[in-house]
Amino acid sequence: MSSVLYYFLAFTGINILMCWSIYLPYRVGQLHYLTVACMLASAYFSGFAAREWSWPFALILAAGILIGVLISLLPSFAIGDAPCFTVVIVGLTIIFIFKTAVENSAALGGTIGFFGIPEVQHLLPLTYLLLAAAGAFIYRIDHSRLGRAASVVFVDKNTAAALGVDVKQLGMFFQIAAGGIAGLAGTLYAFLIGSLFPEFFNLGVIGTLMCMLFTGGHSTMWGVVVSVPILEGMQLLLPSAIASWRQVIYALTLIVIILLLPGGLITKRTLVRFKGRSRA
Amino acid sequence: MMRKHAKSLVSVLAMAVLLVCLCASSLGAPQSTVVVDQWEIPFLNCLTGPIASIGAYMSWSAHKAADEINQKGGVKGKPIKIVDLDTGLSPEKAVEQMAKIVNKSLVALGPVPEACIMAAMPLAVKNGLFSMAASTTYEYAVQFFPYTVAWHTGSDKTLPPIVAAWAEKQSGVKQVVQFVEKSGCWPVMADAHTVGLSSVGVKTINVEVPTDAVTFGPLVVRALAQKPDGFVLTCMSEKAAKIIMELEKYGWKDKAKILIFSSADDVSLYTTGGEKLNGCHIYGYLDAEMETERWKAFKEAYKKDHGGMDPVSLSTIYYDCVYMIKDALQNTDVTGDPKKLKEERAAIREHIRNIQDFEGVQMSWSMKDGVPSDKGVFLFVIENGKKNYVTYVDAWK
Repeated sequence: MSSVLYYFLAFTGINILMCWSIYLPYRVGQLHYLTVACMLASAYFSGFAAREWSWPFALILAAGILIGVLISLLPSFAIGDAPCFTVVIVGLTIIFIFKTAVENSAALGGTIGFFGIPEVQHLLPLTYLLLAAAGAFIYRIDHSRLGRAASVVFVDKNTAAALGVDVKQLGMFFQIAAGGIAGLAGTLYAFLIGSLFPEFFNLGVIGTLMCMLFTGGHSTMWGVVVSVPILEGMQLLLPSAIASWRQVIYALTLIVIILLLPGGLITKRTLVRFKGRSRA
Repeated sequence: MMRKHAKSLVSVLAMAVLLVCLCASSLGAPQSTVVVDQWEIPFLNCLTGPIASIGAYMSWSAHKAADEINQKGGVKGKPIKIVDLDTGLSPEKAVEQMAKIVNKSLVALGPVPEACIMAAMPLAVKNGLFSMAASTTYEYAVQFFPYTVAWHTGSDKTLPPIVAAWAEKQSGVKQVVQFVEKSGCWPVMADAHTVGLSSVGVKTINVEVPTDAVTFGPLVVRALAQKPDGFVLTCMSEKAAKIIMELEKYGWKDKAKILIFSSADDVSLYTTGGEKLNGCHIYGYLDAEMETERWKAFKEAYKKDHGGMDPVSLSTIYYDCVYMIKDALQNTDVTGDPKKLKEERAAIREHIRNIQDFEGVQMSWSMKDGVPSDKGVFLFVIENGKKNYVTYVDAWK
């Protein structure tokens, strides 16, 4: 396999995971940017554990997911049912705190960065295996009582509460699950790139993930499965001079999609129509 | 009969002389045939995003060198082509651009800047591609040896002497406040400044400049409360200029006792600071007022294409890199044959990593295992946007 295809597929897999980590809490109307902090923390932990302690990949992977879960768990007690804006602010603040902590930690390379993360064999098939597992987990949630409750919370929290939904616990569950998925993405990212730099985890990452999520469609998990490869592939397929305008292309794509298809490329209605045709 | 023999003898002698001449001429030059139509050199550079202006002049200088080489017939009769690959400031994009070239290019330029180096260089190392990330500091480059070069020795060797030289030129400096922004390798550079100052008995107190700072009054008040005799600015160019303006506002008059570090030697330092910078010292790696013909030609061309501005600190790096690659292509057996990619990459790499008496646009130097062995730093005083030469200091050995 060519290196270009390898990295395209690997970044696509990781970005789908990260988009899902934003998608899940958005099911209850929260933009949970804290997942980027989870990704950062688990990426640095994974790099450190691999290089300094020579931990096996499987153990690091489990620890990376756990770190994401724990980081999401603590704030979720306070923001489980908080308004979207509050969740955004908490997320951005924690990203900033984590970045500052890394920048001031000599063991993690400080502002210079963290080098020399050992290579993992068969990372790409592993990424897709884990992506499939995460996808199955989200699919189960979406089609369970939790998923249906989330749909009601998204529309109106009071109605959901009147129907017996514990809005806070539901929000906490989605935030924690998202943290775990982001932790997984962080571990894979660290091993894919092989070195880490605090600036990898900046506001630009959030912008890109938001564009991918809202272009693909925020109401189903399948939207990003379509939008991420398209947006990732765009910069590889387009000539270099045009690909340089990536940010502009992303922004224009998002504007056009929001104006013409407010729900994104794939909505729940699209899926229903697709299922109907399949049955016919 | 005799005549016939004599003729044959002359013919044989003539052929022998011709053969000897041919052999002699081929002894000094590479013997293989070049199989490429042009020498493609990809340049992973930040051509879009917040530091696109830096990427633009780095690209300009690489193209300028290639144009000059091509006008003189190229290398082994083939032109050099610089292929710009934009990385923006995105690590993902940098990896993807590196992936495009990593299995086919003989040698590459960049990546630029550090975020992209960190992301893309491991891939170059993994695939054995020598990529000249020359615009970064030794501390980054050394992580990817032998697949890149350092443009200077470590900060701990290059910077202390120049800062010490500055401090020694100022009378009565016993304590200095250093404004430090924690970005990339700047804290390492700040530590090196402290070592230099301490070597001449000057105490350093660090004041952190937040990366998102927009007002500098409180920072300056805090710094002045330490009763310093001077200042070292280890922060972004625009912030350095604003801190100097604030210092003046709070009554600091002796500008000579302000030293600005090399990474702040950027256009926005001068556009923001203007005449408030007059008298401040700055150190850097090139002397814009140098009087060599080659430098004057470079400078004029640069000014012509950059609205009359003098070349800035990083503008010559990739110009010299292209000439180094030319030297390597010229003096090794490289043919561009994809079947010999591995050996030819190694030949170029080893040639550049140990190049001797290389004639750069500003100075000549030699490399030992990818690190310059005899390169120093210039100290200047700023007057009306111009940097006037004060001294040149060699790095510590």
